[in-house]
Amino acid sequence: MINEENGSSETRSAVRSGPSRRSVLATGAAATALSGFPYISRGRAAQTLKFWQFYAPGGGVATQDKWFEDVVKGWNDTHDAKVELVYVPNNAYMDGTKLPTAFASGAGPDLFIISPGDFLRYYNGGVLLDLTPFMEEAARADFFPSVIANRMVNEKIYGLPYEVEPMAMYYSVEAFAEAGLTEKDVPKTWDELLTVAKKLTNEKRFGVLFETSPGYYQNFTWYPFLWEAGGDFQTADGKSAFNSPATVQALKFWQDAVNMGVAPRKPLGGGGWDAVPNIGSGYCAMQNVGIWAIAQLREGAPNFKYGIFRLPTPPGGKYLTIGGGWAFVANAKGSNPKAAGEFCAWALGSMKPDSVDRIVDWCTKAKSDMPPRKSALEAGKAAFDSGFLKTFTDEIYPGARAEPRMPPPVYKAISDAIQACQLNGQKPEDAAAAASEQIDAFLTNYKGAPIL
Amino acid sequence: MAQVFPKTEGAVEAAPSSPRGFSLSNRTREWIAGYLFVLPDALGLLIFVGGPMLLSLSLGFFSVSGFGEYSFVGLDNYRRMIGDPLFWRSLSVTILYIVLLVPALYVTGLGLALLVQRNTRFNGFVRTMLFVPQTVSLVVVSLVWQVLLVDKIGLLNQFTSWLHLGQYSWLGDPRFALYVVVFISVWFLMGFYMLIFLGGLQDIPKEYYEAARIDGASALQSFLQITLPLLRPTSFFVLLVSTVTAVCGSQTFDLIYVMTRGGPANTTSLAIFYIYQQAFLFNEYGYAAAMASVFVVLLMGLTVLMFMLTRGGRFTYD
Repeated sequence: MINEENGSSETRSAVRSGPSRRSVLATGAAATALSGFPYISRGRAAQTLKFWQFYAPGGGVATQDKWFEDVVKGWNDTHDAKVELVYVPNNAYMDGTKLPTAFASGAGPDLFIISPGDFLRYYNGGVLLDLTPFMEEAARADFFPSVIANRMVNEKIYGLPYEVEPMAMYYSVEAFAEAGLTEKDVPKTWDELLTVAKKLTNEKRFGVLFETSPGYYQNFTWYPFLWEAGGDFQTADGKSAFNSPATVQALKFWQDAVNMGVAPRKPLGGGGWDAVPNIGSGYCAMQNVGIWAIAQLREGAPNFKYGIFRLPTPPGGKYLTIGGGWAFVANAKGSNPKAAGEFCAWALGSMKPDSVDRIVDWCTKAKSDMPPRKSALEAGKAAFDSGFLKTFTDEIYPGARAEPRMPPPVYKAISDAIQACQLNGQKPEDAAAAASEQIDAFLTNYKGAPIL
Repeated sequence: MAQVFPKTEGAVEAAPSSPRGFSLSNRTREWIAGYLFVLPDALGLLIFVGGPMLLSLSLGFFSVSGFGEYSFVGLDNYRRMIGDPLFWRSLSVTILYIVLLVPALYVTGLGLALLVQRNTRFNGFVRTMLFVPQTVSLVVVSLVWQVLLVDKIGLLNQFTSWLHLGQYSWLGDPRFALYVVVFISVWFLMGFYMLIFLGGLQDIPKEYYEAARIDGASALQSFLQITLPLLRPTSFFVLLVSTVTAVCGSQTFDLIYVMTRGGPANTTSLAIFYIYQQAFLFNEYGYAAAMASVFVVLLMGLTVLMFMLTRGGRFTYD
């Protein structure tokens, strides 16, 4: 038995072989000071630029994950200010709370990606950095005007796109054959589309699929039909142009597809953008989906035989499609906006071959997209002139109009009109008038960047 | 003979004097101990519930961009609410959801509890099975139901086709979507309410039923005259909690978010989902906070009314 009262210091140290209470407290305090206090953590974090997106590290598609990793590695190997990829799952990124709450709490990422549909929300919030000073004139001119327009305000560029995603129609070769149809029967007009869809519809399959879930994506897919019919959102004097015969025509087209029973009210999988569980699984014979479906089907349904055709037109209408796509943007209120701006320009907005090749690689290897830059279209000519990408290059992309950017209340008014007609049987005339009234009410007091 | 003094409160509280000259009466010590026990919970409520509620109430008087800009707008957000058809739409959808969900949960919870109240091995298994949905993520629940209910090829549509009843878009047709969401909510929650009712049923003395049986009471009479009256406090709890759950329970948001996104045509746009849209998709934090405040007030009003009507769940009117 050890007598604490009389034990020597050696004896005490032998008994207390583990760390003393004081040392534990001191270590804990030091650890807390180094890693726990937010301000110190923030100071350390300021060394690294956080890049939020939904591809890497650990994203679902290996080629896209690798592309992002390579871009960041290329930058980090040659620059002092480092960039770190932060993966945010797709659903949490697009419609979730992560990005909005980060900005609301003043902790938004230094770099992130946005689509044109979300541009005004962030631009009007004052968090988008002007990237123009970081770019050379030749690179600015290298972007297709129709693609860069919706990322610009007052001649300044606030986002650098790395892809253009035009919408098209996909069809199942097998379903066509089953219904006794051939490539010659590919519909060219809206009426033909509904007729063909009826022939393709059976007990287990819908003839055609349009998006039905309310949201930015559904609006995005409906806009080209409005344009093809000659409609638009705003008049030249900034008033709503939504209450028009063209709007009624486009709303009625989607309504007819559902009412005739040739289009589903609910798509499978993630929704109308998801090709594999819909056209790839035989749930529908034709699907309105974008260029990215080539990569989806290549990965998820490699044996599926399909064809692609451009959006049909209404009587007397002109072919048009929509070119969506995402862009790199930098946070003007981030920890190091200058470095973030330089990163964007270095990655996607420089005339150096690396920058151009990055876009070619993304559009032809990591994904299946059209390039937003003339030089990239030229550099990747071999790939863009082969396979399904050639169909897009030659037939679909030339008719692409930039995805509109609009503030949330305008988007919501249009979304409600689409939903009411497509799924709730409302008269298109009434829906167009109601939405137009709401848009006008909003535009009266709107003071943000122009809606395009 | 020693004089017997009446035992007074003061005498009981008298504590032996402390050698340090500082003493607390037993009552004071108990008082302090009681509050110390409550303190962690009270602090938690104050910081994590009271604080945000107060902040949310305050935000309702501001226009908030979501990017650090606040401007005081007084009652503008509340005025806007009055003229916003989607707010009224979400309110009416929420009321319908409550009206359908609360009685359905009461009936299924109590019914299942009565069916499985006897302690047999089989009943134990059934109870577990009925509670299993509670252990599964609501996102998974939503995805599974989506597959079951999908147009044309979903299991339910195959079944209705087999019965020659036709095919329906259960989640894509405004006539059905909300009812389907209610059905899935009931399926998900009924196991939980069954457990609460089981607890209530076990508190009812068996002697009452034996006496009733001897007196010749039927099963229905026993249920109406013994079970239901003695389950009043449990019933009150179930009705209160299920009403709150119907307005702001996790299933209210998650099922809608994954399965319908408020569609088709806003027919499943419950208040909590519309508030979410305004806050996180449209960056209208001030407006969303004002709507949240209105719903909190409505819910509190409903709760107070229920407390008043039932005398705090005791149902004692004399």
